[in-house]
Amino acid sequence: MRILVAEDDTMLGQQIKSALSSEGRAVDLVQDGAEAHYLGANEPYDLVVLDIGLPEKDGISVLKQWRKDKVNTPVLILTARDGWSERVDGLDAGADDYMTKPFHMPELSARVRAMLRRQAGQSDPIFQRGPIVFDSRTNKVLNNGMPVTLTAQEIAVLSYLFHNAGRMVSRTELSDHIYEYDGDRDSNTIAVFVNRLRKKLGKELIISARGQGYQIRSD
Amino acid sequence: MRSLQRRVVVGGLIWAVFATVIGAFAVVTVFDQMANRRFNTALAEQHTQVLIAFGNASDDMNMETWLTAPAYDRVYSGRYWQVSNDTGESFTSRSLFDVELPKDSVGFWEGEGPQGLIRGYSETVTSEDGTNWTITVAASLGQLAAERVEIQRNVSLAFGFVGALGVACAALLTTMLVAPLRKLRNDVVHRWDTGKELVPEDYPTEVVPLVADINDLIQRNRSIHDRGRRQAADLAHALKTPSAALRNELVALSRKHADTAPLFEALDRIDSQINRSLARMRAASAAEAVHLRADVHEAASRLERLFRKTPGAQDKTFNVKLETGYVSVDSHDLEEMLGNLLENAFKWCVETVSLTVERSDQTIDFIVEDDGPGIEKEMRAKVLEEGARLDTSVPGTGIGLSIVKDLTEAYGGSFELGTSDLGGLKCSLSLPIAVFAKKATKQRSA
Repeated sequence: MRILVAEDDTMLGQQIKSALSSEGRAVDLVQDGAEAHYLGANEPYDLVVLDIGLPEKDGISVLKQWRKDKVNTPVLILTARDGWSERVDGLDAGADDYMTKPFHMPELSARVRAMLRRQAGQSDPIFQRGPIVFDSRTNKVLNNGMPVTLTAQEIAVLSYLFHNAGRMVSRTELSDHIYEYDGDRDSNTIAVFVNRLRKKLGKELIISARGQGYQIRSD
Repeated sequence: MRSLQRRVVVGGLIWAVFATVIGAFAVVTVFDQMANRRFNTALAEQHTQVLIAFGNASDDMNMETWLTAPAYDRVYSGRYWQVSNDTGESFTSRSLFDVELPKDSVGFWEGEGPQGLIRGYSETVTSEDGTNWTITVAASLGQLAAERVEIQRNVSLAFGFVGALGVACAALLTTMLVAPLRKLRNDVVHRWDTGKELVPEDYPTEVVPLVADINDLIQRNRSIHDRGRRQAADLAHALKTPSAALRNELVALSRKHADTAPLFEALDRIDSQINRSLARMRAASAAEAVHLRADVHEAASRLERLFRKTPGAQDKTFNVKLETGYVSVDSHDLEEMLGNLLENAFKWCVETVSLTVERSDQTIDFIVEDDGPGIEKEMRAKVLEEGARLDTSVPGTGIGLSIVKDLTEAYGGSFELGTSDLGGLKCSLSLPIAVFAKKATKQRSA
């Protein structure tokens, strides 16, 4: 899952990025509103964490512009300003959730997970298909009750496919959603990750159609 | 007396009473003198007629032949004549019947007649035989008195009417003069809300400098208020972002089993102090602001929308009963107060939160209730005064309720904690109804 974080404070931005990255998300960090607007409008993000008090262009304006341009990516706004009015303005502008600074990072991670699940139409944080259980809170995977060790990229691929279950996902789309903006994108490596997943989790979980991509069946 | 209109009406009344009384007195006096003169002239003419009749009368004194006026024949009619000589002979009009007029008076005199006061005129003539004859005519003064009363009544009526007209005109004139000031007041109230400037051309020349000054004042007040709010917001941003970063570093440290508890506690105190200071800045700026107005229904609906969309509050029962109206509070601050109360209620509730807005005579009351544990009676004052956290296991800085109290007091409202029928905390917030809006609401309800 790929996330855009727009936060002008370098230290806090890095902390959010590393917290989300540690959970297997591909995170792009920007520090001003203009860049946030450009990336959000042109890259296929699964979620945006948007600070309201951004330089160049404030968060509310960026969000309004996205919604006007039919960019429907879920947005979590961060506000350091002390105003309830701004939270309402944010939600009215099209935000899906808000957090006020200072916040606890685990709470931010939990909100991000919940928003991604809501987007996927899944209320339970645990995804299960046959013997395979994937806990989106901890990124732990069980096969017939036994823990399976997966690399960060394998988890990213698995998580994206689970969150988009029931839909054929192309290699390009997968690479768009598991690599960061300046990451080394090679859609051939996707095939490698999928093969490794099949070896570890069984061939039935991920089905493929030649030239079309991969899919985990919906419940 | 501070009302210009009342001053003019009362001043006009005093002037009208004074002018009417003096004027009426003068006019009545003049008319009285005229009536008196006319009465005397008529009496003198009658005397001449009687004198001529006396001259023409034959020896048997058949004066009635010459004095034919019916009033001389009707008993006690009010018109009398009498001719008498110094030998005791006396002739009178029939109207005198059994009464005699005084015989020794000369010129005009007044005395008691057969029916009330009479005025007479007597003159002594000497006949050819050397006898002195006193010729007297008299008339009742009742007629003169009646005439005088009539004059007084008519003059008073006329002057009363003129006086009342004068007061009415003065009141009308003041209304016309005060109208631009009234318009100015209404416009100023409107412009506080809309942010537009007053248009000097809409006012009379004499008021234009005042309009320009008011424009300047509105602008200055608004910019002071906005600047204060912006500075508070910028400060919040500047302080809270590094505080958030620091908190996250501490979380990372504590994962490495460092003893971060005292550091967290210090950071909590810093955050709490920042929030409290920002709230005080906002409250101070609120106290300085003039003529603010917040749409109660809009603010409450916005927050209702927010909480219905907020994860964590979404799955609770949220009962909302709204009311229309305006309070004289900045709309951001109204949302700040309601937001804090609702956040607190959702944080502590088990299942249900309710927001009720009610309107009373002078205030609009906001009641936020929940079915949570509530706050013990003796702990309530502590929560409001120090912004203390009664339970540190639930996240938050614990100053939400004290912010509400600070802001409420700055706006001249009241804030109380109690026990809800739902079982939890009941927060009652009363804010003063906006002056202009109160009028508008009345008009709407009419």
